[in-house]
Amino acid sequence: MPPSIHPVDLIIALREKHLTPAIVFLTSRRACDEAMQAFDHSHILLPPSRQQAIATVLEKVIAQYPSIAEHPLIPTVQRIGVAAHHAGHLPSWKIAVEELMRHGCLDAVFATTTLAAGVDFPARTVIITQSSIRKSRDFMDLTIGEVQQIAGRAGRRGKDLVGFAIVTPSPYIDLNVLTKGFTGHPEAINSQFLISYPMVLNLLKAHPLDQIQPILAKSFAQFQLNQRAEVLERKLDDLRDQMEPFGPRVCTDWITEWQTFDQVRRQKSHRAPVRRHEPPEVAARFHFLTPGRVVGFARGRGVVLRQYRSKGQKSPMITALRQGGGITESPASTVTEVSDRILDCVDAPVYPWCTPESVEELLQHLEELPTRLPELPILIPKDNEPIPDAVVQTLGDFACPTCPSRSACQRDYPLASKLRQEQHRHLKSIQALRTSLWHRFQEKIDVLQQFGYLTPTAHLTEDGEWARLIRIDHSLLITELLRADAFNGADPAMLAAVMSSIAHDDDRPGAFPRVSSGLASLLGQVRKLAASLSPHEDPPLLRADIAAVTERWIGDPSLTWIGLCKNTTMAEGDIYRLLARTLEFLSQLHTLKGTHPGLADSASRAIAALRRGVLEELP
Amino acid sequence: MTTEELEQLLVQQPIALLHRLARGRVQRHFRAGKRRLIEVLLRHSAENRAGFESDLLTLIGERQTRPAPPPQQTPAARKPKPSAPPRRAPHKPVEPESQEPAITLSSWLEGLGVPPSKTFVPDAWQDDAIAKLREGDVVVSVPTGSGKTYVAVEAARRAIAENRTVIYTSPLKALSNTKYTEFSKIFGADQVGILTGDRRDNGQAPLLIMTTEILRNLLYDAGGGEIDVRLDTLGLVILDESQYIADPERGVVWEETIIFCPSQARLLLLSASIGNPHDIAEWLTSIRPTPCHLIRHSTRTVPLRAGYLHPNGKLTPLFRTVGIPHGHPGHLHPEAKRLFLQYEDETLPSGRRR
Repeated sequence: MPPSIHPVDLIIALREKHLTPAIVFLTSRRACDEAMQAFDHSHILLPPSRQQAIATVLEKVIAQYPSIAEHPLIPTVQRIGVAAHHAGHLPSWKIAVEELMRHGCLDAVFATTTLAAGVDFPARTVIITQSSIRKSRDFMDLTIGEVQQIAGRAGRRGKDLVGFAIVTPSPYIDLNVLTKGFTGHPEAINSQFLISYPMVLNLLKAHPLDQIQPILAKSFAQFQLNQRAEVLERKLDDLRDQMEPFGPRVCTDWITEWQTFDQVRRQKSHRAPVRRHEPPEVAARFHFLTPGRVVGFARGRGVVLRQYRSKGQKSPMITALRQGGGITESPASTVTEVSDRILDCVDAPVYPWCTPESVEELLQHLEELPTRLPELPILIPKDNEPIPDAVVQTLGDFACPTCPSRSACQRDYPLASKLRQEQHRHLKSIQALRTSLWHRFQEKIDVLQQFGYLTPTAHLTEDGEWARLIRIDHSLLITELLRADAFNGADPAMLAAVMSSIAHDDDRPGAFPRVSSGLASLLGQVRKLAASLSPHEDPPLLRADIAAVTERWIGDPSLTWIGLCKNTTMAEGDIYRLLARTLEFLSQLHTLKGTHPGLADSASRAIAALRRGVLEELP
Repeated sequence: MTTEELEQLLVQQPIALLHRLARGRVQRHFRAGKRRLIEVLLRHSAENRAGFESDLLTLIGERQTRPAPPPQQTPAARKPKPSAPPRRAPHKPVEPESQEPAITLSSWLEGLGVPPSKTFVPDAWQDDAIAKLREGDVVVSVPTGSGKTYVAVEAARRAIAENRTVIYTSPLKALSNTKYTEFSKIFGADQVGILTGDRRDNGQAPLLIMTTEILRNLLYDAGGGEIDVRLDTLGLVILDESQYIADPERGVVWEETIIFCPSQARLLLLSASIGNPHDIAEWLTSIRPTPCHLIRHSTRTVPLRAGYLHPNGKLTPLFRTVGIPHGHPGHLHPEAKRLFLQYEDETLPSGRRR
């Protein structure tokens, strides 16, 4: 059995059960195109009357948008009554397909899920073949809201009594995701309040700094943060109730009082600790008792051959070569003196722990040593942070030992201190929830001040006044480019090319048409600047092949759309979107006529050169 | 209704309905018993009484329209082993309320067809939305394809009749263009204008269509008087597909637009079904001069049925019931379940069988 149903079989099955027209959602653009190819040699033709109807509608659309007259899918659409509709197509083609659907001419449209969110064309049936969707770079399971959005395309008001959402399995489908999506309640939506540089500039243009916080407080983001803060506040109220019995006693703040007293009491009892294993000076010395170290014992000297910890007690031990040639095992504490001298010693894995030759040598060296050796200065760490003596001494000043509520304090202290800690934690989180937006805003202000768009009093500088008009992604990079005069002397084609490489955020691989040397060096500069701005703004992809496409289109007015498409592996729809987005960026630059007349002029010439062919015919 | 009436009403409802009501409102509601649940719900309802009551009434309404389940049959509770070859009709352990026999394909396909054409009668919620717009802002959250556009058109028509300007925004340029064509047909070409990043037609028309970003920019520039669109006569702002407020990159634009929307203009937010429309309504009430009404329902105008199509061309219903069993993702049709298990057995590499 095939892993998924063949498109031709699918259409046959749908026609047989009268479930057409249908929208078939497929995982990728390629899957849509392949599904269309599957009909190349099939014979499930439409009756001539319906073929005629399709031709009539198509003719009308082609009259408006001549660019699709030669579209390779037209024959299949006419013969079979199926079409593909995805982001790789030109908008004019998509309009044609939508128009055909609206007239009820088609039996099926193969589409990607972007259609579910985009245009509005319903059908009687929706076929779902996937349970996940590509988001940025990963495949994610469809959310309940998305499943319902997709399934919601089924059933046309006034044209159908019922709509059908039909699941057909393909590899990697998870039926659970889909059944949950059909039957579930859509997810709650959450605010995504992104504070951008243009937003900060525009807000500060219209409002003084001290009015900003109330404005931010009006956002849905703050509303939702407040909701979370309210939950915490309710918890805080509960805690307050629970703290009721632990109110003021003999002393008002008995919890702190008891805490200090308790601590001091403990410390006091630790003053003369019983050290079972190693006193601190032994522990400190043990680090230095490495092979070759000359040490002094109560009687005579020795050289350390190895150090280890005894098996049972784990107490520090050393093996030493004593004067006279004896090799002894002794606790590290028997060392009375650690000298500042290390003799050469070749380690060995077995007794006597060094090579026989080096034993000889060591003995000899040991005899030759002078009687007085400098001692190694070893810092002995103090006990872990004892309470300052001053406090300890005042232990007698605590009222607790004789206090009438002593037993109550002792009993309640663990619970009360836990509750109080929780209270503090909640208070801190509430504080953070209430002020986080403002802090994020202030961070942006700091950056803008650092770059000189804002004065230290948070007013717009001369640069800030025009920079606030650039309200697109990567605005900081663009305004910095303008300040660096990067486009000085650049021709419209180069300006548009750089803008398009900033605007493009898709990492689908592309071919590499040639970039002119001027553009290449300009792009290099832009990349350097973008990298230096990366702590403040995510750098764009700045792909050279994208820039080249735009440069070719503007630089060569005789280039046709088909010719441009042949230059690259990008899909038509992607090229169109790229150029349309570039237009948008350029028209933002055009708004700077007042301050940057040269640039605005360059931008408007680029816009004029861009807008031809397919780009002109579309709305 | 008063709190006591509300409590009475809640007491009368089955616990399942209360749990559905509590979803998204109360954390860990499934832990609570009925009395506790009612208590918590009442406490919660204090914040957004209107939204709460409307949700409750919708749920009660839905319940009443649902047919009563037929008498129970003896439960068949033998679970087939997944590795065993599937039998013709495997018995599944099922929850008590789905004891009714699974429907057949023919009854599932029943009702397929074209409804007799009749004069368009707006649904109650559509009238309600338009009426409520007189009193204040309105948030509409209804399933895809319910007829949100009708509300937008009617609301726009009324505002234009009062000599007010209307702005309609959509998240995508393509959608704006479609709506421009559609509205031009309804209102006449001279009444409709469009503003997008690179297109500007008839900017002085009473009904302006634009992308939300453009409206945001207009509102920013309005302070400096740098725009050629008059905002003082603005009477209505329609934000279509406003569930985009949760878009990771562009969501903030919707928030900015709503925050800076002139106070004399009414806001109409149209959104697909979302989980927390009451939050949006509550938010609007808190920041706008007039209270915001929430119009919400989850029944589709054209009922939806789910099916399963096997790669060999065999079609079966996906669920045991004709419609979609809301809240019961486990009520699969036995045939669909069998076919899907078979499909998984055949496609998963051996050793990875579930």
